[in-house]
Amino acid sequence: MRTSIQTKFLLATSVLISLISQPALADVVLPEINAKYVTIKEDNPTRDAGYVVGDILERTITLTVKKPYELVKESIPIVGYEHRWKGQISGIELSKVSSEEIKHSDSVTHVIHLTYQVFTTGKLAKPAALRAEIIKMRNTEKKETLQYRVPSFNFRVSPLSVFGSVKLKEELSPFTPPFLIDSSKQKLTLKLLIGLLGLSLLGLLYIFGMHAWLPRMGAPFAKAYRDIRKMPETASGLQQAAARIHESLNKTAGTSLFGNNIDSFIQDKPAFSPVKQDIEKFFALSRKVFFEPESAQNLNEHSKAWLMKFCRHLRDCERGLRPEASA
Amino acid sequence: MSDIQLADWRNHALTLESEVNKVIVGQHIPVRLITTSIFARGHVLLEGDVGVGKTTLLRAFTRGIGGGYQRIEGTIDLMPNDLVYHTYLGEDGKPHVSPGPILMSGENLSVFFFNEINRARPQVHSLLLRVMAERTLTAFNKEHHFPHMLVFADRNQVEKEETFDIPSAARDRFMMEIPIVVPNDDSIMESLVFDTRFHDADALVSNVPENILQFDQLNKFASILQNSISASPTLRSYVLNLWRATKTPTDFGVKVSGVDMNRLVLSGASPRGMAMVLRAARVNAWLNERTAVLPEDIHDVFHATVAHRLVFSPVYEMRRTEIARDMLSGIIHAIAAP
Repeated sequence: MRTSIQTKFLLATSVLISLISQPALADVVLPEINAKYVTIKEDNPTRDAGYVVGDILERTITLTVKKPYELVKESIPIVGYEHRWKGQISGIELSKVSSEEIKHSDSVTHVIHLTYQVFTTGKLAKPAALRAEIIKMRNTEKKETLQYRVPSFNFRVSPLSVFGSVKLKEELSPFTPPFLIDSSKQKLTLKLLIGLLGLSLLGLLYIFGMHAWLPRMGAPFAKAYRDIRKMPETASGLQQAAARIHESLNKTAGTSLFGNNIDSFIQDKPAFSPVKQDIEKFFALSRKVFFEPESAQNLNEHSKAWLMKFCRHLRDCERGLRPEASA
Repeated sequence: MSDIQLADWRNHALTLESEVNKVIVGQHIPVRLITTSIFARGHVLLEGDVGVGKTTLLRAFTRGIGGGYQRIEGTIDLMPNDLVYHTYLGEDGKPHVSPGPILMSGENLSVFFFNEINRARPQVHSLLLRVMAERTLTAFNKEHHFPHMLVFADRNQVEKEETFDIPSAARDRFMMEIPIVVPNDDSIMESLVFDTRFHDADALVSNVPENILQFDQLNKFASILQNSISASPTLRSYVLNLWRATKTPTDFGVKVSGVDMNRLVLSGASPRGMAMVLRAARVNAWLNERTAVLPEDIHDVFHATVAHRLVFSPVYEMRRTEIARDMLSGIIHAIAAP
């Protein structure tokens, strides 16, 4: 009876020992896959020094696996796994993983984005690494599983502050570029504001040009000349044209201009002195058109043409030109 | 009436003007305005300082117009009756009543000259109001007519002692109030002081030929003249805008320095006033050999015919002359024609 109990105990113990001594599946080191089936492209951080606690490093691994092998997706690293090196927590944690798959006829390309964050620091700069990730490959024909080792990326972690009394000049690392503030948002805002400023300046130019796109195009006689050209060659058109010129004269003079204050107008606006006689002639014509209807009958069809020419001369004076030269 | 007759009368008018200008130097604008007023059949009020020649100017015109001429001096004790009749004891020892200045010339009265009108009492102004407006007067149980009468009056604005303001209703009866100022020209000023012919006003006035105009034909001619000179629709619109601006200058952007324009005008030009502006402007056009009224004709008479009709807030009355001048100039500058 005693023997039977001892035998059972020994049997259970041996089973337990055999179970404990069996290596865990995760720790099993599988054979390396033949390099001809896998090609790798690494996109690592651009610098390998000057990282401090809290910094984020991103790397993108592009693996192209040829058939008959395929990538075991469960072997892609997962977030939250505490990485240790020589029994110590490395302090470089995987904080984000994403992957995408592009299928080809004889291969599949896996693009794996890995984001790590630094959670370690020290009194002096010390080495650290984005660990070498083990990705498993399965042979779909032979039911064979192999592994592929993605190379690690080595870099240095710096302390946040200088320890002890040091000479900064000697401490400066040629690998450490100056820290740059991310100004992309500000640059975008600046570009938008420059665009807005440009639009505002165009608007201002338009307003200063009196709703015309070139300076002086919106000045009184320039506008009047454009309007008069569209007026009909009738008695009514003649009256409208004369009224339009009166309006522009008044606007230019800043007061109502009549036949008895032409001299003071010329005195105030000497640019119009070359057309003084024409202005007097215009007032004589205007008198016939507006105030002496009986004598207005003597006006001929050339009056409208003369008004257009007169208005053009006024426009030239307005632009600082001599009308004789440009007529 | 033919153009020749119009031209003939114009020659008479210009002759009168020329003769008056010979004895009253440096007053071409007032002389033109008074000539205009005579042919527009409007009463004239001259305003100016003491001794600037107001009375002499009016006497000179009176001589040239011809017809009956009467004159009265405004005094504080002058009563309306003094204009109509006066009483006296005759050589027979009995009381007699004789016609006063207004009645003395009867229907031939062409000029009634009221010197220093602002010294007369409001009762006298009141009588004058009717005579000026209606050219009639009831006296001795009879209505007397003075169809050819023009009232020429003068006043000085400087002296305020023993004077009465002419009420706006009486002012409105005058076609024009013409300011008389001493000429600035040195040679004219020198002549006025050193040339002895200007020292004796009676002798000076006697140099104006008598009866240059036929006073009893003036009413008839004035009517024909008014009908001969046209006013186009554009001008009518312009005059209406001027009228509106005298009532509400702020609507036309008229400003006067140091004046609250919203409080300034209590009353603008009256319809009678604007009608007188047009009458005077037509005469001005005729004198300038035109057949239609131009804005310039309005400008020439605008200040003289409108300024005295404006009624300002009492706070601005003391600066009346200056404010009225600036406001009316502002109106002419602000309103366009066409």
